[in-house]
Amino acid sequence: MIEIIVIVLAAIGWAFSLSGAVGIVRMPDVYCRIQCSSKMITMGALPVLVALVVGEGPITVFGSRALLVAVLLLVINPVASHALARAAYKTGVPMWPGAVADQVADRRRGES
Amino acid sequence: MSQVYLAVAIAEVAVMAVLLIRLAAGPTISDRIVALNAMSTQAAIAVLFFAAFADRTIYCDVALWLASFSYLGAIVWSRYLERGLL
Repeated sequence: MIEIIVIVLAAIGWAFSLSGAVGIVRMPDVYCRIQCSSKMITMGALPVLVALVVGEGPITVFGSRALLVAVLLLVINPVASHALARAAYKTGVPMWPGAVADQVADRRRGES
Repeated sequence: MSQVYLAVAIAEVAVMAVLLIRLAAGPTISDRIVALNAMSTQAAIAVLFFAAFADRTIYCDVALWLASFSYLGAIVWSRYLERGLL
């Protein structure tokens, strides 16, 4: 029974990780790729780690480490994604030509 | 059960191989950082599952270090891109 739960959780996580990786390869610009990578953590890495916690039990050596890694990823990933997107925007990485909204540029144009 | 862990570790390494395309072909440096960030997360998960498969406790700490310090690397890289060296 536990093995079935582990397999299902790991399959969900792996499917999301693979689709996120394909999205990182196929998406047109940096900002879309950052969005794909953060989805990849939240829906791809967390179910896989939860599968390890379910399989080993939360108080064992591997289960506690998996829980710690899951909490760490959940906390640090938005910070890293935000810092990366901000740095990419400030260094002038061009957006995809089909993008419809750039609210930072709109606001700057309104101020000046 | 341990065969399942090995299968999950190999599958995550396969996802890393897909991300390697973007790491090699990214037009700007930000693309490469995004791909490297995702790859290091997958590597941490793969190491953790391999540790559970091989029943080696000491590999768990490798996964923990990889998960925490890769993000530190991403943050340092983005700060460097934004403001220069200092």
